[in-house]
Amino acid sequence: MSHANNGIFYHQALDNYLLKQNAGDGFEAVELSIDEHELLSKFHPDHRKETMTRLQVGPNQGDRCHQQIADVLQADSRIDAADLAGAQIKETDVLVIGGGGAGCAAALIAAESGANVILATKLRLGDSNTVMAEGGIQASIEKGDSPQAHYNDTFKAGHKRGNKELIKNLVMDGPDTIRWLIQQGMQFDLNRFGDLLTRKAGGTSANRVVYFRDYTGLEMMRVLREAVSNSDIDVWDYSPAVELLSNESGHCAGAIVSSLHDCRYVQIKAKTVIVATGGIGRIHLNQFPTSNHFGATGDGLVLAYRLGAKLRDLDSFQYHPTGLAYPQHLSGTLITEGVRSSGAYMINALGERFVDELKPRDIVAAAIIRECREGRGVVGDNGLQGVWLDTPGLEQRNPGIIKERFPKLMHLAQKSNIDITRTPMLIYPTLHYQNGGVVIDKNGRSTIAGLYCVGEVSGGLHGRNRLMGNALLEIISFGRRAGASAVKDKKTRGHKQISIDHISNLRRELMQKGMPMTSKSPVLFPDYVQYDSEENTAMRKDTDSHCGVCLS
Amino acid sequence: MNHNLSDKKPIQQTDKQTNNEVSMSINGQAITAPDSLSVIQALWHAGYPRVKGVGCLDGVCGSCRVMVRRSGSPEIKMELGCQLLIEEDMDVFFSVFDTPSQHHYDLSKISTSWDVQTEFHKIFSEAQKCRHCGGCNKACPKGIDVEEGVALAVKGRFRESGELFVDCVMCNLCMTGCPEYIDPNHVGLFARRVTGYFHTRPSNLINQLEAIRTGELDVDTHSGMEE
Repeated sequence: MSHANNGIFYHQALDNYLLKQNAGDGFEAVELSIDEHELLSKFHPDHRKETMTRLQVGPNQGDRCHQQIADVLQADSRIDAADLAGAQIKETDVLVIGGGGAGCAAALIAAESGANVILATKLRLGDSNTVMAEGGIQASIEKGDSPQAHYNDTFKAGHKRGNKELIKNLVMDGPDTIRWLIQQGMQFDLNRFGDLLTRKAGGTSANRVVYFRDYTGLEMMRVLREAVSNSDIDVWDYSPAVELLSNESGHCAGAIVSSLHDCRYVQIKAKTVIVATGGIGRIHLNQFPTSNHFGATGDGLVLAYRLGAKLRDLDSFQYHPTGLAYPQHLSGTLITEGVRSSGAYMINALGERFVDELKPRDIVAAAIIRECREGRGVVGDNGLQGVWLDTPGLEQRNPGIIKERFPKLMHLAQKSNIDITRTPMLIYPTLHYQNGGVVIDKNGRSTIAGLYCVGEVSGGLHGRNRLMGNALLEIISFGRRAGASAVKDKKTRGHKQISIDHISNLRRELMQKGMPMTSKSPVLFPDYVQYDSEENTAMRKDTDSHCGVCLS
Repeated sequence: MNHNLSDKKPIQQTDKQTNNEVSMSINGQAITAPDSLSVIQALWHAGYPRVKGVGCLDGVCGSCRVMVRRSGSPEIKMELGCQLLIEEDMDVFFSVFDTPSQHHYDLSKISTSWDVQTEFHKIFSEAQKCRHCGGCNKACPKGIDVEEGVALAVKGRFRESGELFVDCVMCNLCMTGCPEYIDPNHVGLFARRVTGYFHTRPSNLINQLEAIRTGELDVDTHSGMEE
């Protein structure tokens, strides 16, 4: 057996697989009695002690947190007071930061109520994780199902750590959220009588996920984007927020955005700010690949924390077991859980099953990592590793199923140059979702006046584990809540003095704790883009014509 | 894992694996990178900090639209940069210019479904001028029969028209291919939206909404869910 660097090389592993696969009697059932607690604590990335630390500054001082999260939360600001001297100033009632589903929903509701709204987004309107959501959106609409059942499922799945009040409001909003989306012109899959079709998500007690094909997020996002484009909302694309503004009382009073068009700063003064920047997958916690959008670098989390907003469950992330590990250019791409639900096994490099494939996601992900770490994983020669997803076996037991039920998977296989009815796919867990985030109330208000946070950037709804379909519900439900509430706030609040004084406090605190302050945040882009490398920064500042080649 | 592309070498494996460095050009810059990389990854690999025109990296956001000319062929094709593997001698240009729609409408201003066709022709007055040049179809990286979709909308067959645009990622390339400024993808989206807005009335949803409105359904946060 050719063992290499703690694993078995691809071709040898494939031979092992094919040998068993062709033997006819298939793969043996696995021994099911595993100590789940031990498996998680030894192998789930959330439990890796060596990568965890405790925050030393800010409202969550002393809280357990991943080192890479701590690094961005405790980094220096990108902004100095001098940067603001020449910056253009804009004013608005409501500033929405983020152009995904949550940001669009919030902006639409605020604008509809007569507020002046600016929506600033790092890339283009709609560039977000929303557009990539496949599965669907949860809403209890079937006979026999109820918001109470939805509540119970959600609370339980979050290991009973979710905020009850938030979850109650989320599930009660479910049906009306679907109605609102239909009124925006969104389509759902219907039966022949025009009723919404539903399907079951893992960990739920009823058929509760409504959907549009494998394209629920795409359909939602193109409709919301069109609605925003046809409204009075002032959309600023390629305008990442790099700092929040504060007033004399420490309330949020707007934000500083950095235009990627001309590399200049603009101060946007706002009565209220709604942060809807999404998650943080693209900082690749624990060096994991991610299913996340290119822009998911946790910008809003950092900005809110610096202004003093309390965060929660910072040590809890969802790793989806079946991310594509190979080919490299598609690494991290999600393979739907439905493949395992339909009976596909996972096979290690020795040609053996190693876990009940339908255990909860954290257990399955931890088991894959265990196989790889203990030398039973498949390895390539550049650090690539993974286990097999036995699509040939699935096809053999259910001829035609892949083509019929998983067209998107077929498409992925085509792009990977693999005939998945004959060759298994190499998979490895992929960083999927930030379970925690900014502490909010039922209207999306953070602990800082004037600052709302909605969607993945916020925490509390999902406890320590999110159910499929609850993220799409959350972004619309809480996006609308925040939009409506922000408009009410605008009548009562005015700012006397607007500054970035909170940054000076942060710097003082970082200095006192002896923090390095060598890096800056929010990072805005993944490190492999080298956005902040010296020559690129110089080039950007140098001349706009270079922007034309590389940045624009 | 293998996300850090800057220091990775290609992988040796699978059915059609190769292990070659290829030379090609992106926006006129000569680039050498492993052939296991997409256009966007190749650009990063070569040290160019491209951020505009990069989106979901999953083929559904339409951000990374590129023009491609392959070795030995004069033909220029439109593709999505995150999904396109680089090849020897390939020339790629990012197409990042803005293409805002010139057509504006508010669904709530269309009072009944009987008025949709009239309103459509007011909003998208160019649609009936389609000269069937096929420019939109050629421009579409998703292989949608865009031209037929526009023709169906012109005839008021909005549901059918919308069906053709199910895979549309709103990359706006068909707009650039249309000499009549029809904005075909927005026609398709209009067709989809009026279908949802006017014709989706699910009884299962409506019944549940009513039960919630009357207070028949509510949530008790203490019921049977002990800490």
